[in-house]
Amino acid sequence: MTAPAGSLLAAEELRKAYGPTVALDGAAFSIHPGEVVAVMGPSGSGKSTLLHCLAGIVTPDSGSITYHGRELAGMSDAQRSALRRSEFGFVFQFGQLVPELTCVENVALPLRLNGRPRKEAERSALSWMERLEVDDLAKKRPGEVSGGQGQRVAVARALVTNPRVLFADEPTGALDSLNGERVMELLTDAARSTNAAVVLVTHEARVAAYSDREVVVRDGKSRDMERVV
Amino acid sequence: MKAGQWVRDLGMGARFAVTGGREGWVRALLTAVGVGLGVALLLLTTSIPNALAARDERSAAGSSLSHQAPKGDDTLLVADVYTEFRGETVQGSALEPEGPRAPLPPGLRRFPAQGEMVVSPALKELLLSDSGKLLRERLPDRIVGTIGDSGLIGPADLTFFRGADGLASRLDGGTVIRIDGFGERAGQSDAWDPVLILLVMVVFVVLLMPVAVFIAAAVRFGGERRDRRLAALRLVGADSRMTRRIAAGEALAGAVLGLVLGAGFFLLGRQAAGSVEVFRVSVFPNDLQPSPVLVLLVAVAVPAAAVLVTLFALRGVVIEPLGVVRTARPARRRLWWRLLLPLAGLALLYPMIGQGNDGGDFNAYLVVGGVMLLLIGVTALLPWAVETVVARLGSGGVAWQLAVRRLQLSSGTAARMVNGIAVAVAGSIALQMLFAGVDSDYTSDTGYDVSRAQMQMSLPAEVPLASATDRFRRTEGVRAVYPFSEGYVGERRTDPERGTSVLAGSCAELREMARLPSCHDGDVFAVRGAEYDTDTPKLAVPGRKLYFDPTYEGDTKGREIPWTVPDGIRAAQARIGLTGWHQGGFLITPGALPDAAAPALTGQIYLKLDPSVPDAWELALNTAAALDPLTAPMELSATERNDRFDAIRTGLFVGATCVLALIGASLLISQLEQLRERRKLLSALVAFGTRRRTLSLSLLWQTAIPVALGLLLASVVGLALGIVLMRMADTTVRVDWTSLLSMTGVGAAVVLAVTLLSLPPLLRLMRPDGLRTE
Repeated sequence: MTAPAGSLLAAEELRKAYGPTVALDGAAFSIHPGEVVAVMGPSGSGKSTLLHCLAGIVTPDSGSITYHGRELAGMSDAQRSALRRSEFGFVFQFGQLVPELTCVENVALPLRLNGRPRKEAERSALSWMERLEVDDLAKKRPGEVSGGQGQRVAVARALVTNPRVLFADEPTGALDSLNGERVMELLTDAARSTNAAVVLVTHEARVAAYSDREVVVRDGKSRDMERVV
Repeated sequence: MKAGQWVRDLGMGARFAVTGGREGWVRALLTAVGVGLGVALLLLTTSIPNALAARDERSAAGSSLSHQAPKGDDTLLVADVYTEFRGETVQGSALEPEGPRAPLPPGLRRFPAQGEMVVSPALKELLLSDSGKLLRERLPDRIVGTIGDSGLIGPADLTFFRGADGLASRLDGGTVIRIDGFGERAGQSDAWDPVLILLVMVVFVVLLMPVAVFIAAAVRFGGERRDRRLAALRLVGADSRMTRRIAAGEALAGAVLGLVLGAGFFLLGRQAAGSVEVFRVSVFPNDLQPSPVLVLLVAVAVPAAAVLVTLFALRGVVIEPLGVVRTARPARRRLWWRLLLPLAGLALLYPMIGQGNDGGDFNAYLVVGGVMLLLIGVTALLPWAVETVVARLGSGGVAWQLAVRRLQLSSGTAARMVNGIAVAVAGSIALQMLFAGVDSDYTSDTGYDVSRAQMQMSLPAEVPLASATDRFRRTEGVRAVYPFSEGYVGERRTDPERGTSVLAGSCAELREMARLPSCHDGDVFAVRGAEYDTDTPKLAVPGRKLYFDPTYEGDTKGREIPWTVPDGIRAAQARIGLTGWHQGGFLITPGALPDAAAPALTGQIYLKLDPSVPDAWELALNTAAALDPLTAPMELSATERNDRFDAIRTGLFVGATCVLALIGASLLISQLEQLRERRKLLSALVAFGTRRRTLSLSLLWQTAIPVALGLLLASVVGLALGIVLMRMADTTVRVDWTSLLSMTGVGAAVVLAVTLLSLPPLLRLMRPDGLRTE
């Protein structure tokens, strides 16, 4: 199988094992700019591993991943880190905000890691927090905000660098349905407004409904599910 | 609150600690290892007085000086044949029993015959090794056995007993004595002076306080993760008090397990202590016995401390059914009660200011209480200082910001990590200052000019001076030999009121001792200008009859050899001699020395050694032993010190090293635990591109800031305590900057080492695998 033309990020024949446990066994994936793709599957099917491989966090045992036509395997660790800092954004199930930083400092962190001055970074962070309706939490620490608010802060942090690809791993897994839906609305709206591609790992059909396309992972193998929205 | 409820909750917590799966076990084990190390060090340190007492007892049991007796069938002739080998003392005795009932020294089964020797296990090992070959030349007797433990002070002692013959002719009441028993008679041991006792007390407090602080920190290992686990208990109906008691129960289980491990570590450490020698002190494992009261105290205090510390630590934490909420803005730490502790300590010590050695013994309770309060003051002040300072630190780079914000959020954790180091450093600075201050009282200048001669020995009468001089001149590594004959003349045969020394030697040798106008063989000089020598000018009258070796009342009869001051006697000016003092008295060249006077003179040889020849000292000692085993070579050193002072100083270094190593280990465990807690967060930070360098630097800042504050505070408290202790010892107060900087440097080095050691696990934890469960 070859990557579809015009795809921003594409993977082929991915294999990854953790000791005797096979996580990916020939999985394939592709995504276009501005597209939202849901990666679905039961627990332990390998969907998070697929996301980690696509993001260059984990190196697959074999197979190829290309971003903008560049092979990730050919990049050094430092180059992959730089790519994640500037081109990718991440949202995790529990937000993973740095507990000692205030919310605005958390959102500004990726910009500061890219070398932006603190004040400028925090200004940008605040504008993203406004878009995600959490600007009133700017000075609070993650321990002082609710789960839903924290997840919105995490989305703001993921989007603050205007990433080309946003990786979201069970972004609503720890939220109630109302909060989950609000987070998904804000996340997909913001991504679409910046033409960012979203790789959305979830096992909830309700969350997957926000995507343009679904890829199902089972036993380490992927299957594209074309869907008419 | 019913006691039963407490017992039930604590028991439940203890059960959780051991049945809580891998996580529970790891936490209990971390606590147990930490507490165990602390307990073992506590037991080992407090065993030291017993070990030293046991060493003293065996030393006293082997002493013979107080058993001098007239000849009988129960007497033994003993000659002290002490030597040194590469800086190590080799203690030896030559034995000659005078009858069947002669007392056997402790550790021996029979007397060695002439040509035989019984040696300590350590000496045997040395003599049979390649490195001991030079010493074997000096001690060539056949080894016929080893000395039992009762005859040794410590297992690493280099000791021997050799058989001898003809010692009776050399009886002098000093090197050779006749005895009828071994052991020190009651009441003979010297009393320790009060300042030395003060030093011992302070050394113990300084060493034990950080251990106690460390144990308090160890029972909190893994606290954050445990708090989350406790939230689940709230969910099923435990109230907040019950939850805290359950948490205390978990810590209690770790502490009790720690006691068991501590006992094991102690026994292992005790065995290991038997095979090592630290600063020339070795102890038998059996000597390291902590007092039963102390063991009981540790067994009760450590678990109790675990419960109290946990309850205290959970004050600022609200464990809710759905998670743990640390009070978002913890109550601001107050300074006033923290200041009270060191002030109370100073108040306890204040009455003893100026007491010194003349004011009797220091009140042990006041000293220990005062020093403890001052040092506890460090642990109370440090969290306040860290909180106050980090609250004012501004933003910098990302690494700095991450570190500062983390410190601002949990400054208590950071302060706790550094507390042990700060206490150890504060105490050590104070003690080093006190040591430096009283150093001059316990170190005396010998006055020897070690650039001109490094070894001196008195020759027994049987060894002719000329042949000995010749043997030394032919010895490798001897650069110059200065032979003299020494004696004493008095104005009368018996009980002279005036008398002075006589030194006989060639003109070249005499010039080493005084300024001579001109010199030829046959000249005699009277030295003028020597300190304390007022008799020589009065005796140096031509024609006046003097007597070599006069007899004094109560002493053995002297030789009383007459000598007339010659007409041609000339004056010589005193100069610093090879002995380091102004040599006074008469200087006589060989041609002017009457033959009859020779038996009244003792041969003295000074040697200048060649520093470029390795083992020059050992080769010279071998020559001396070959001339006569009873020669007593003496190293000329510029200063000499009080042995007990040295022992205390040594004890401090050994203890401080152990304590700092222990605290370093605890810092590392605590650091690793914190990193483990933040594993997912670290992985997430790496996922969105955070450089490893940034996180490493943040870790360094996070440690360095509280450490810098801790060391600063420790320096201030250490200086204050040092000044107070010096005032108590009635010594001139002066700040010993070298010790201050070296101790803070050691503290900083421990922290740097811990940070470096925690970098590999940090880098491992930053691997993306941490996200796998996400």
